[in-house]
This record gives sequence, C-alpha cells and structure tokens, in this order.
Amino acid sequence: MSTVTVDAPARSEVRSGLTFGGVLHSEWIKLRSVRSSGLTLLAAALMMIVTGLIFAATFGSDSDGANGVTDPTGVTLTGAMFAQLVVGVLGVLTVSSEYSTGMIRSTLTGVPSRLPVLAGKVAVVVGAVFPVMLATAFAVFLGGQALMSGNGHPSAAVGDPGVLAALVGSAATMSGVAVIGVALGSVLRNTAGAISTLVAVMFLVPGLGSLVLPASWRDDVLRFLPSNASDAFVSVAPGPNLLGAPAGAAVFAVWVVVPLVVAAVLLRRRDA
Amino acid sequence: MIEVENLTKRYGPRTAVDGLSFTVRPGTVTGFLGPNGAGKSTTMRVLVGLDAPTSGATKVNGRRYREHRAPLREIGVLLEARAVHPGRSARDHLRAVGATHGIGARRVDEVAEMVGLTDVTRRRAGNFSLGMGQRLGIAVALLGDPHTVMLDEPVNGLDPDGIRWIRHLLKDLAAQGRTVFVSSHLMSEMALTAEHLVVVGRGRLIADISVAELIESAGRGVHVRTPRADDLVRLLTGDGVRITTAGTGTLDVDGLSTEDIAERALAAGIPLYELTPQRASLEEAYTELTRDAVEYRGTASREAA
Repeated sequence: MSTVTVDAPARSEVRSGLTFGGVLHSEWIKLRSVRSSGLTLLAAALMMIVTGLIFAATFGSDSDGANGVTDPTGVTLTGAMFAQLVVGVLGVLTVSSEYSTGMIRSTLTGVPSRLPVLAGKVAVVVGAVFPVMLATAFAVFLGGQALMSGNGHPSAAVGDPGVLAALVGSAATMSGVAVIGVALGSVLRNTAGAISTLVAVMFLVPGLGSLVLPASWRDDVLRFLPSNASDAFVSVAPGPNLLGAPAGAAVFAVWVVVPLVVAAVLLRRRDA
Repeated sequence: MIEVENLTKRYGPRTAVDGLSFTVRPGTVTGFLGPNGAGKSTTMRVLVGLDAPTSGATKVNGRRYREHRAPLREIGVLLEARAVHPGRSARDHLRAVGATHGIGARRVDEVAEMVGLTDVTRRRAGNFSLGMGQRLGIAVALLGDPHTVMLDEPVNGLDPDGIRWIRHLLKDLAAQGRTVFVSSHLMSEMALTAEHLVVVGRGRLIADISVAELIESAGRGVHVRTPRADDLVRLLTGDGVRITTAGTGTLDVDGLSTEDIAERALAAGIPLYELTPQRASLEEAYTELTRDAVEYRGTASREAA
C-alpha cells in the first residue's frame, strides 16, 4: 500500500508568485511539448520551400508580375499563401486545443486575470513562427534564384531594392496570420470553426469577391482584405490595384488587432 | 479558508446555485455533499474564477481568487472535468502549470512522487488510466503547496488502494492546518474522511453540520420485542412518540429513550424480550436530508421511498 507523505516542498520554489515571465515560460513549454506544433511549423516551411522551388524550376518568360514586370522574388515566395494557412492553423490550435481537451481550466485557474495567457500565446506563436518562416523565406529565395539564374532567367539578389522588405514582410505576414488564428481560436473555442473562418477570410472571400462584386468598386473593396493588404507590402512589384506599402501594412495590422481585441474582451467576460 | 456568501449562479434559464452561503475552516476535512446536479462543481468553478457568479461572492483565504498574487499557492484544485492535454506528458503538464508561478522541475518531481506517478511522468497523459489521471490532477493541486486544497470527486476512477491513499492524503493535509474541501455524491465516502459536511441540494444549502451532529440529528428509534405489543403501544402512545409495528410482537419506537421504555414497561408489568437502540447510519441520515432535493430520481426508487 502506498503511504502518504506530504513533504515540505523546496522552499525556494514556493516563494515566487505569478508573473508575466512565468506565463510566457508556461506557454512556451505548452507549445513545445505538443507534437503537433513542431509538425505544423515544419509543414508550413516545407510547403513554402517546395512550392517556391517548383515555381522557380518551371519559371518561363511568361511569368510576369502583375505590372507586366518580371518579379523573380515573387516567384520564389509563391508558397506563402499556402504556408500562411498552415501557420494560421498553428495559431488556432494553441487556443482551441485547450478548449477541446479541458486544459483551459488548468490554464485559467493558474492565471485568473486571463489576459496574460492570451498575450503569452501571441508572443510564443510569433516567437516560433517569425524566425522559422524568415529563415524559410531566405532559403527558398536563395535556392529559387539559383535555379532561375541557372536556367538563364532573370533573378534577384537579397540586396536588390525591395527584396529584403519582401522577405521580412512575408515572415511578418505569417506571424500576423498566426495571431489571427490565435484570436479566432479564442473567440470560437472550436478548432474546426476557427480554421473554417480563417480559410474563409484568407481565401474564399477574396476569390468570391472578385467573382461576384461589380467591377466598378470591386478593387476598392478587395484591396482591404488581409491577403491583398499584405501583398501591398510583401511584393517587390505590387499590382496596380493594391494599396501603398505603408497603407497595406496598416490595414493588415487592423486585421490582426481587431480579432485580438475581440478575443481579449470575450476571454475576460465569458465563463471558461 | 473558503467563504461563499449568498452565491447564485444561473446558466441561461437554469439556476445551478441558488443563494448558497457557507464557510470552510482550516484544520479539518470538510465534505461537500449533494446529489448529482446539486451545484457542487459550479460552486467550485466560481471559487477559482472559471465562472463568474450571477450574484453573491466567494473568497479564498480572505480574498477574491483573482486578487491573489500567487493563486496556485493559495488554493490547489482538482476539478471533476478533465483538464489535461492528452498529447502532453504528465511532466510537461505539471511544468507548464507550475511555470506560471516560477515553480520548477524540482517541485514537479516532488509532487509526482507524492502522488505515485514518478515512473510514468514522461508518458503522454492521454494514455493514462482514469485513476492515473486523477493522481495527475491531484499533483497539479499540490504543486503550489497551497493553504487550501479543493478536490471535486477525487475518488472517481481510483482503485481501492488509491481510495485509501486519498483518504490518508486528505487527513494529512488537514492535520497540517490546511483547509481541505472535498466534494462527493457518496455519503459513504465522506463518512470515512470528513469531519464536517456542507450538504447541498438543487443549488441550496441543506445542512452545514459536523458528521457527529448529523448522526445525532438523524431519526433514531428503539427496536422493542414484547409478547404484549398492543398493551405496550397503548402505554407508550403520547406526544412526540411515533410507534410502528415491525412484525408480530415487534415495535419501532421513536421519541423515547430505552430507559423510558424499560421503566414504563416494568411498572405496567409488560415483559420485554428485546430493547435495542437503533442508530441511523450516515447514509440514512443523508438520504433523509436530501430526500426532497434529488434532481434525478427513478420512479422505482420514488415508490420505494
């Protein structure tokens, strides 16, 4: 039979209280200790690299940018739109899996003020996504440009105007979409619902919009969607219907911040 | 110390807790007893801030839970519903919860050992049996070495060895001066661990009573066997005395002591073959208390009652 001893705990470990640093550490442990996080991030990176390299390898002279200007940088970053969706799913899962498993009860019992949990999740998701996707962007850019110049096509270098901004911008967009995922997961508390909403906002609405909206004001609306807003600051040669880079960045930021604020308000208000 | 003051919690049209007030004091094990659906889990969820009260207030160690600077050091909680990600190892789960309060690997290993999970901490929690899951939940509750421990149905899923272990643990924690508050829908379980009981039904307080008082208050009677039952009934009948015939020549007398019955029977020359004080079991006392508060009762048992 097991005997019971409630030992006096190591005193040094029992002095400290709840801190934001502690919450960050906790969220980091949570992200790292579930297999799906690493796999999702790996999937996003692979998707970006494989797509980019395929487009670079099959690049022909007709692959012009939206202006009719050849954009070799854009060719190698083609996979970003798919990778975005995958990092968005990562963001969703960090919150929705807590609700589906009941972990959220442990989490919110430990941090009853709640908002540090949301902030912590945003921080660790961005902390994981940004560096990985930045490295991925560089890798696919360098590999893709090598392929294209090897095939005798025009290629770009990191030092060319707008290229560095495009690479950093693509990693920033990935991080932003992951944060939108966190917010949707927190608002909807349901993996399937949050992922569907994310797909709708990022993919379906732009596609549907260009089909059903009247041509006279279609572009005025579509340029404010998150995907087109981010294109405005990620493209080296942005299309004519896009916002300017600073405006695009501002609009994209609104798409990130508004769901996050809604998530924060609901997190404080609702029963767990 | 746990204080619940006039707590009401409604979920839509359903009232889960209805004007509930009680205080749980340190140093003893207090049982939180009531039929399923009586509002026990809801009260516990409100106490640790998971649900907001519709009205009223709750306090843990003198303050509202959210106002504590180190909540996990004030109260350790095991909630009835599962609260673990199945893909995470037990150790990572404990580390993640502890990290918020700067509680590190050493304490994690300590509590894992206390609950007997040392050998399986690296296994994924999803592969745990119900009993191991309960032990993990109890380990989480003990992480912060809290002044108050609150466990919702902790014996659920535990084997007999585990149940014995939990009883010892609870008594041990109380003996150290901590507040121990444990819910159960089984009186038999509480009878073995708790010294004090908070009994609820349909979200309301039914009794806030020590176990000894509860037994005392429960209807006790005296079992009497006599060849002159009819004469004895006539003799004893009076104010506050209830007599039921339990068979040929046997009576159950309520409201008189054995001494009274014996002396009056002797004076009247009625022989008594048997005179046995009946002690209501805790189970019976509890059933008596909650008779009107059971939310879901089968028709068969309604007829039986």
